[in-house]
Amino acid sequence: MNWKKFFFAFIATFGFIFLFGFLWYGKLMHGAHQEVPALWRTEADFGNHFSTLVFGHIVMAFFLTLACARFVPAGGAGACATLGILVALIYAGADLITFAVQPLTTKILCGWIAGDLIQFAIAGAIIGALYKSDSRTTA
Amino acid sequence: MKRFILAFIAAYIFLFLWGWLLNGVLLKNVYAQTPNLWRTQSEMLGFFHWILIGQALIVFAFVMIYVSGFAGGGVIAGIQLGILLEIAAIGMRMGVYAVQPFPGNLLIYASIGGLIEMVITGAIVGAIYKRPAARTP
Repeated sequence: MNWKKFFFAFIATFGFIFLFGFLWYGKLMHGAHQEVPALWRTEADFGNHFSTLVFGHIVMAFFLTLACARFVPAGGAGACATLGILVALIYAGADLITFAVQPLTTKILCGWIAGDLIQFAIAGAIIGALYKSDSRTTA
Repeated sequence: MKRFILAFIAAYIFLFLWGWLLNGVLLKNVYAQTPNLWRTQSEMLGFFHWILIGQALIVFAFVMIYVSGFAGGGVIAGIQLGILLEIAAIGMRMGVYAVQPFPGNLLIYASIGGLIEMVITGAIVGAIYKRPAARTP
């Protein structure tokens, strides 16, 4: 494994999922989330937990990059995007369970599932594109 | 295909039982600390089919990743896949914790429970769906 390429892929993935999360879940779905305000922290409380949000994204990006680098050694945007979609389906399953136990709206559920699929497909493609060339030389 | 179905069914049964034991029994008191975040017991029964569908989707995706050859073959490969996927899920759970006011100990207990769940799921799938050749070197 080329750790330099891995690091670049990880940083790019982290940057993407953090930006996507901000735009999709924070901006685009803001109105839908406000339909059930009791479920969310207040702005001030959220500020106190912001570091947890950042660290969570770092963990997600790192292990998604690791999964792609480990399981798709030949690289390639298509293969890694496929893996990303399969990973997203696991998150979508978790979203359905959350919907069953928390008073979320159907709009939120659909938004979360669509967000997962788009986010992980693109993140996988980014990793596959950045990690591809090196893994071909080492394989 | 037969092994795929067998692996799916075995992993699904385990996931269902573990989910009930972890969330319905072991963590019951922790969930009770924040009743405003959860549906009532009677309301949850009306949404129970979504739990079944969600668990089926998780197991289906897990087995698909495994049988697609991404993770190689064998019990160890299945466990490695489970650990990787669960740690990524812990990252997602931390993100949810940052925006939802549930207690910090629930994050820890659910993550430990999730890790146990995915390790055993990986072992079950790896043991049942044995691949003759691994995709990774």
